[in-house]
Amino acid sequence: MNVSAVWRGAGALLVLSVLMTSCVQRREVGLERVRRAGELRWGADAQGGEPYAMEDPDVPGRMRGFEVELADALARELGVRARFVQNDWSSLIPSLERGSFDVALNGIEITPARSGRILFTRPYFIFQLRLMARRDDDSVTGLASLKGRRVGTLANSQAWDLLQREGIHAVPYEGVQEPYIDLEQGRVDAVLMDDLIAQRYGQPRAVLRVVGDVGEGYYAIAVRPGDEDLRAALDVALGHIARSGELRQIFARWNIDSAAQQRMVEWSDAQTREVLAQTQTPHLGWAQWVMFLQAALVTLVVSVLAMALAVPLGVGLALARLFGPRWLGRLASLYVELFRGTPVLLQLYVLYYGLAGVLRLDALSAAVLGLGLNYAAYEAEVYRAGVLAVPRGQMEAALALGMSMRLALRRVVFPQAFRVALPSATNDFIALLKDSSLVSVISVVELTKRMTITAVDVRGWLLPGALCAALYLAMSYPLSLLARRLEARLERG
Amino acid sequence: MIEVKDLCKRYDGRAVLDGINASFAPGEVVALVGPSGGGKSTLLRCLNGLEPFDSGSIRVGDDVLEPGALRASGARVSNIRRRVGFVFQQWHLFAHRTALGNITEAPRYVRGLDAKAATELGRALLEKVGLSHREGAYPSELSGGEQQRVAIARALAMEPEALLLDEPTSALDPERVGELVELLSRLREDGLALVTVTHEMRFARELCSRMLVLHGGRILEEGTPAQVLERPRHERTRAFLGLERVVRQEAPVGLEPGTTGIATVFPAATARE
Repeated sequence: MNVSAVWRGAGALLVLSVLMTSCVQRREVGLERVRRAGELRWGADAQGGEPYAMEDPDVPGRMRGFEVELADALARELGVRARFVQNDWSSLIPSLERGSFDVALNGIEITPARSGRILFTRPYFIFQLRLMARRDDDSVTGLASLKGRRVGTLANSQAWDLLQREGIHAVPYEGVQEPYIDLEQGRVDAVLMDDLIAQRYGQPRAVLRVVGDVGEGYYAIAVRPGDEDLRAALDVALGHIARSGELRQIFARWNIDSAAQQRMVEWSDAQTREVLAQTQTPHLGWAQWVMFLQAALVTLVVSVLAMALAVPLGVGLALARLFGPRWLGRLASLYVELFRGTPVLLQLYVLYYGLAGVLRLDALSAAVLGLGLNYAAYEAEVYRAGVLAVPRGQMEAALALGMSMRLALRRVVFPQAFRVALPSATNDFIALLKDSSLVSVISVVELTKRMTITAVDVRGWLLPGALCAALYLAMSYPLSLLARRLEARLERG
Repeated sequence: MIEVKDLCKRYDGRAVLDGINASFAPGEVVALVGPSGGGKSTLLRCLNGLEPFDSGSIRVGDDVLEPGALRASGARVSNIRRRVGFVFQQWHLFAHRTALGNITEAPRYVRGLDAKAATELGRALLEKVGLSHREGAYPSELSGGEQQRVAIARALAMEPEALLLDEPTSALDPERVGELVELLSRLREDGLALVTVTHEMRFARELCSRMLVLHGGRILEEGTPAQVLERPRHERTRAFLGLERVVRQEAPVGLEPGTTGIATVFPAATARE
């Protein structure tokens, strides 16, 4: 394939994605749809855990949490049933927009960026942004003391925005437990999260301390633009259960009630308008471009280093299986089956969080090590197949000339095995380049993660997506060309 | 000088070699003939240490090869292999190296010559086998006959005392056989001991000074090609030669011994008969 064919392909892809986004259109308006279906589908992430919404440990499949009770109460007010729809927290808003559920109700904070993108009901909960640090680290006294340092939080949250504004290095996480594990391990200097999360997941940890509350915000229910009637109905329902005392009773059952929540009872429409007045429509600016390039660099560095680990380790494993003593060969086979037979995502989790007590790795090292160990299993098989593909006669001819086994392998078998293995190894490297996006689960911001963060920021997936794809191609295509040239050169022999 | 004493090898309970005694001297060409499964190829492979054996011994000069696993007797086997070259039926040229590269590999890394000396030696050998113009070609770009010549040159690069050839005519066009006979005759004159397994009686007659007929792992008969082919002593030899004759008549290009072909083109090669 030549360069123009690639551009044609990219163009076709772009047209396709434009068509797909324009095809997603609503057929009927919100409230009408909810009433007709007889259910209010609400999106949330069970991984967010206590006290929001989580799976009941005693009754698998049933959800519990204060938002579960809130959703039930609201649905009752609307005269329908509530139905929980599982969705990753970080993509709740895009999923809401494409119609996976009617509302998103999962500790979603009112931020100017979100207000500019979707509809919010009146708030249902007031939270504090709680800063936590290690007990043995006195240097953290407040946000000002954290300039340029690493602070963990959820991507695209209010805390995330605040950290960015303050010039602090915000480290994005996808779960609520992981940032506190990393704080304990010293991988971040502080964690800034909503007080509900800090209470449940941070404060119980003995080595951590609360630095203080550095901001305040509101949770509200997110509704798709165009579903104004649904929002109005939910506002009425919320006002009703707040005034009746039911809302604070729910809070009380979950130990999250406080005097501050009385403001939710006395809340007025004017206040809602005031809170939602601040909107923001960010666009892809220079800063974002630079961050994209930085993220691409992270992807490239992680991939190259992981491959640099996978290749020699793969060679060792292949040699052990082919020529080693029986026990070593067995061990190598076990390694290959273990790392090839389990998801790399799981391996990354275990390496980074699971072994955190015994193996203190920073995120980047864990990413390189995790991907490298995983890909070594694939490389081992590729090289083994390469060696087995060299005809027996080649080895025999080398031996017949008086070469030792070792010399024959080095001078005759391996060079030919390399030629056989090269296309597969290239393929693996390109796959690794893309698989490196998985390391975002251990808080490394690489290209794909940057794309998701930006996409949520700028309220659109198309441009960041295309940019992301272009950068991946820019990294993998030259590699393909190089490999093809090398193959062509080896082909003659 | 290669000496084989009481060589025995069993495989799957069957005797493949059953007490072989033979010697091969410099300047002589010996043909190993006999029916398939008679032990010719196994004997040839044993002489180079490619195949282990169960009892007996093989002596090359002062190096002795003993029964048992080949790996265990590493250095001794390597020594024997350096002194005894092997040309495979399918040549097995190193696919990733040029004609010249195939030849220089062993001198460079086994004999330890420097790159320049190895290249000079390689070029000289290519000239000897008449392939100077093909030094940069890869095996896949060479014809069968050319590959065989490179394989011979590759074996000669170790400056062996003996050269073993497994069915050297089997993959050659009949018109190329004469060229091979000529090349091997020159090597014999250089003082090499040549041992070749062959089914081609005419080739054996043209080239060889001695013939060993192997059957059932034993040497059934031994003598000059003229003796063996024209006055076979053993009934089984006669039967085997009769069969060979039938096979040969079906061959596309028939050259009857003593009429035309090799004998007239290379009278020197047939002088010994």
